[in-house]
Amino acid sequence: MKTNNKTVSDGAGLILFNNVEEAIAAERALKAAAYEVKLVAPPPELRKGCDLAVEINLVEKAGIERLLKEKKADYLEIVPVKGKGDLLEVVKVTDFGGAVMVKAGNMKLTFDKKSGIIVNVSGGGCPDIPSLHADLLDKKLSEAVRPKGNGYTLCSLMLDRAFMESLDIWENHGKE
Amino acid sequence: MGRNDMLLICGTIPKDDFPLTIGPVSFDGTSLILNGAAIPCAQGTAALASAACEVAEYLGAERPHALLVGDRGTGKGSRALYKHLIEHLPSLSPGVLILHYMLPIMGLMKKVCQSAEECRRRPVMIADAAAMYAAKAAGLAPRFDIFTPDHSEMAFLADPEASHPAYVSRHLFESDGAMIPELALASYKQMGAAIMLVIKGSTDYIVEYGKVIGQISEPDIPALEAIGGTGDTISGMLGAFIQAGFPFADAAHLTARINRLAGQYTRATPATKIREIIAAIPAVLRDHVKKETRGSLSERSMLNDRN
Repeated sequence: MKTNNKTVSDGAGLILFNNVEEAIAAERALKAAAYEVKLVAPPPELRKGCDLAVEINLVEKAGIERLLKEKKADYLEIVPVKGKGDLLEVVKVTDFGGAVMVKAGNMKLTFDKKSGIIVNVSGGGCPDIPSLHADLLDKKLSEAVRPKGNGYTLCSLMLDRAFMESLDIWENHGKE
Repeated sequence: MGRNDMLLICGTIPKDDFPLTIGPVSFDGTSLILNGAAIPCAQGTAALASAACEVAEYLGAERPHALLVGDRGTGKGSRALYKHLIEHLPSLSPGVLILHYMLPIMGLMKKVCQSAEECRRRPVMIADAAAMYAAKAAGLAPRFDIFTPDHSEMAFLADPEASHPAYVSRHLFESDGAMIPELALASYKQMGAAIMLVIKGSTDYIVEYGKVIGQISEPDIPALEAIGGTGDTISGMLGAFIQAGFPFADAAHLTARINRLAGQYTRATPATKIREIIAAIPAVLRDHVKKETRGSLSERSMLNDRN
């Protein structure tokens, strides 16, 4: 088994595993799907489970999580090599009167208060966002597919957070 | 006036089967046209390029060129885009290079920057969207002339640990607009900022070498924040003005004003679409940007601006 212990790349993330077999299986599944990944030894401060991890481009977290789930490939968690490990949780809500905008990280989703229809998606910068924008626009919150289901990147996870918060606002307050 | 070199806009569009294509672009009111293909003018690089087209046409400047490829998020198209830039940027030698929607891959972004150094003359380097994320995360920000973040992206640039806005520190995300000058200075000091920042928000800030040199807050159109693509239009117009020879600070000020005025002209609501904003740009230019003759502008660009 060959691992690469060189300094991990800028913007890298690590998939951590319970055991070596899981790591090898995940690496194989990801490479088969054309993800550029490699087996590495995680730094001591991030080590959990076994001493083998898969290095990924962290921005591809959403697509990688979905693929591993589809392939039933077990893992512990995905963490950034640098910085804190948790995605930004907090959201901001702006009431425009007839519409509500929910902001999560760099993503914003705006829906009509009467109909629950998504009227705009803004922010972000990863290449799945224009596609998700087209998918979501003019759809009812209650009928649209969650961004997490079609997205590949961290931007899509932020959009998913804005979407879920919007759905919660709409279901609990929007129809009043 | 004019740099006599092309404006090259690079990014992805949400079509898996769209091959890597380069050529001059135009905007027909609803779509961006590239080599005969009509690309819907929606949020993203299509909006950026469409706005650039409107400015270039008004100024009588050369049509912007675009290097576009389909990518719905898998990164396949993005990698092809990086590869093309790494291999061909010196021969293309654009005067102004805008890098936009593409999967942030730090190693490839480093190679693109190296390739830019091999151009006949180093292009004016502008990054927005995930190209800006990659440049910051890879430690390349000082090699760019202009970044165009919004407020949340400004928090990301100021966070030395974050490799993507999704991991920005909560206290930075929650900071209000009044904190923008501090965030801009912090990002500059830790090499997370380009030489100039054009920051979109309720007040737009123009920052150079970490210091605020301009603020634009009128007309106040709060709905612009909700409209997908209103940051893209800023980047596109900015590139077109610079390609036409405008000093960076003038181009930034003009661009921020035009974006707001286009929102005012369309009576923008949170449901307004970006193609409507872009379609209003020619009228804003006619009314607010003085033009002596086609292709030649007055020394200061907004002489007949009413505000």
